[in-house]
Amino acid sequence: MARDLEQYLRPEVKSTPFCPGCGHGILMNLLLRAVDDLKIDMKNTVFVSGIGCAAWIPSPNFNADTLHTLHGRALAFATGVKVFNPKLNVMVVSGDGDLTSIGGNHLIHAARRNLDITVICANNMIYGMTGGQAASTSPLGALTATTARGNIYRPFDLCELVKGAGAAYVARYSVTQPVALMEALKEAFSIEAFSFVEVLSPCPTQFGRRNSYDSAVDMIKMLQGNCISREEAALLSGEELKDKIITGVFWNEKG
Amino acid sequence: MKKVSQIRIAGFGGQGVVLIGTILGHAAVRDGNWVSGSNAYGAQARGGSARSEVVIAREPVRFPHVMKADMLIVMSQGAYDQSVSDLSRQNAVVIYDDLLIRPEDLPDAIQYPVPATDTALKTFENNQVANVIILGAAASITQIVSLEALESAVAENVSDRFKEQNLKALRTGYDMGEKILSGRE
Amino acid sequence: MAYKEIDSVLSPGNYYFSGNTAAAEGAIAAGCRYYAGYPITPSSEIMERISIRFPEVNGAFIQMEDEIASICSVIGASWAGAKAMTATSGPGFSLMQEAIGYAALTETPMVIMDVQRAGPGTGQATRVGSGDLMQAKWGSHGDYQPIALSPWSVQEMYDLSIEAFNLAEQYRTPVFLMADEAIGHLMERMDVKPGLRIYGRFKQADLPPFGMDQDDGVPPMPAFGEVQRLLVTGSTHNEWGIRKTDDGSIHAKLVERINNKVFNNREKIILTEELYLDDAEVVVVAYGFTARSAVFAIDQIREEGCRAGLLRLKTIWPFADHYIEKIGRSARCIFVPEMNRGQIKGEVMKYAGCEVASYNQTDGEIIHPETIIQELRRLF
Repeated sequence: MARDLEQYLRPEVKSTPFCPGCGHGILMNLLLRAVDDLKIDMKNTVFVSGIGCAAWIPSPNFNADTLHTLHGRALAFATGVKVFNPKLNVMVVSGDGDLTSIGGNHLIHAARRNLDITVICANNMIYGMTGGQAASTSPLGALTATTARGNIYRPFDLCELVKGAGAAYVARYSVTQPVALMEALKEAFSIEAFSFVEVLSPCPTQFGRRNSYDSAVDMIKMLQGNCISREEAALLSGEELKDKIITGVFWNEKG
Repeated sequence: MKKVSQIRIAGFGGQGVVLIGTILGHAAVRDGNWVSGSNAYGAQARGGSARSEVVIAREPVRFPHVMKADMLIVMSQGAYDQSVSDLSRQNAVVIYDDLLIRPEDLPDAIQYPVPATDTALKTFENNQVANVIILGAAASITQIVSLEALESAVAENVSDRFKEQNLKALRTGYDMGEKILSGRE
Repeated sequence: MAYKEIDSVLSPGNYYFSGNTAAAEGAIAAGCRYYAGYPITPSSEIMERISIRFPEVNGAFIQMEDEIASICSVIGASWAGAKAMTATSGPGFSLMQEAIGYAALTETPMVIMDVQRAGPGTGQATRVGSGDLMQAKWGSHGDYQPIALSPWSVQEMYDLSIEAFNLAEQYRTPVFLMADEAIGHLMERMDVKPGLRIYGRFKQADLPPFGMDQDDGVPPMPAFGEVQRLLVTGSTHNEWGIRKTDDGSIHAKLVERINNKVFNNREKIILTEELYLDDAEVVVVAYGFTARSAVFAIDQIREEGCRAGLLRLKTIWPFADHYIEKIGRSARCIFVPEMNRGQIKGEVMKYAGCEVASYNQTDGEIIHPETIIQELRRLF
């Protein structure tokens, strides 16, 4: 974490809880840099998170009101905060399992209501904290603690899901695309409606070691190689797209 | 008025039995009484049996359901057949719709036929006001609630679109009750 | 902070309301300005009434996607500064249990109204029961002390709804209004008095929001946006809310405090009503609609010369242990009629020290006074 962002962290926080090579630290850094660039008032901001590694990005680290909730329910709690006091900035930071599997129903309904809440979904494609079980975002064939012969179910396309449910802004980037990701975060924070940013974040500890990305560097390289822009994707055939992760802004109501 | 009056209103779903139970309860509160009311109806919204109960007392009501009805306002043959066995043995009053019910001989009860549905059809060309007509008649026959209280309860519980017609039907029923009573004397 | 007198929201006077409507009006009177809920028979009229009335009192109403979302958003709103509530019936109450534990541990004031129906399962959605009382006590995992009230009339749906909010705020804990279908759908005269006694939330920014140093064990509760960096977590936490999941002594102290703040104040919390206890040989312990039948039955049977009395539990949890102990010393027998398989009878047996008889009815009907009279005759 860069020194100039320390003002956004609680003084008592000395280190983050993330594993070596975890992408969540990069996301944390970019998120706070976006907050700093936009001069967002932390005194008037509530960070809501669920359960899982990504839920620990704001809690207890961020020097703002933080509501660390139940598994899957961050958006329901956030809805109560926002509906009762619309003057508060409400940001939800949580993981893919939390927001889209156990919390999937809350996600689509929050998008439908189009409240002014920003959701940052850190997607590591696996349940990290509980020991590497399959997630609703694990790729087909992925090896996990509960899919020893490879995942047989398709993953969600979260951006299409949330767009279809009615969100005002939907984007996907990887932590390996820091500049574009930070711009997306800033845009999401600025939009006064439901905005959703999916952030691919490597989990070498649980995903990498099971899927032949033996080091943190291998995982980062995988994301760098597989994450392509929408423009690049348009030039590829179906077979060439098989392992690719398409990134970009998928919907912006403002046009 | 008796210390506690137990009133049962019965008919079939769609006749507005529950509505006049609510109106009666409201009116009795307006008159300064303590009141408890409850409703029972079948699963269908229309056509099943419908029942409303109102207990009116001069002091707070202990048990809020009707145990033996002192008064029965009844708007269908099925409801009549079911309800007359549950009447109080002491001068129960039965007020029934004369177009829809053929009464039995009930030695312990005083029965008043009221042409509620008939009047609703002929005078108002709307059988939906039969409930308020029979309620008005019951009020003037038994003096259980005042006409003023009933009028304000109708105004409060009936939507604006139907308010005028229901108030008129209520007064028609009330006058009808007075005539029925004087006819008896 | 303490109680203050305010004017009633409804004009003083007599109303003719259903129990569910009265509960909604009680909530509004108590200052509830956030409601989230999901439709379920036989409680839906509470939500419908709130949805109509909240625009008039500047309240925030939202219909959520399910009961889990409802209660979670209520917790969020409570931390945003609202007096907040939801209402439901058995199946919805079951779904809410995890969040109830979260609210207990984070000391979040809120009111949950459960208009009980005949369970378990979907059971009989439109019919009466009171089978959720042990769920109210033990429904979420871990140890906490719930407060649960049981109204027996439309008037008490209003009065105890206000009481529920006062207790929730005073003790910073979820409070249950455990109504039943027969009271929820009953219509009765309800009197509104001009003045109300309302507990305002205790706020003091320099004191820790989860601290140990208050006499009654209840720390102050600031709202989001008022002081910077409030930390709320359902994990074990220290007095400032910092997660402490490795320190057993912090967990022990926290759990002890959230239990004791209710249990040690139970004499102040518990409300009961007594009838003919001076000479009663057999005492009926009843609550909710069943107590209405019991009162009628007791009056009847006393005319037959049988000395029966009543202890009515307005507060189910914390349980009126001392009251039962006292009755157990003077009465020959305690009789507990319930619309469940004996949930409160078990509690009575723990403390009575005398014979405990019961009558249990789970057919979706109320227990009729005549039934209680017959049961009582057998005890004399």
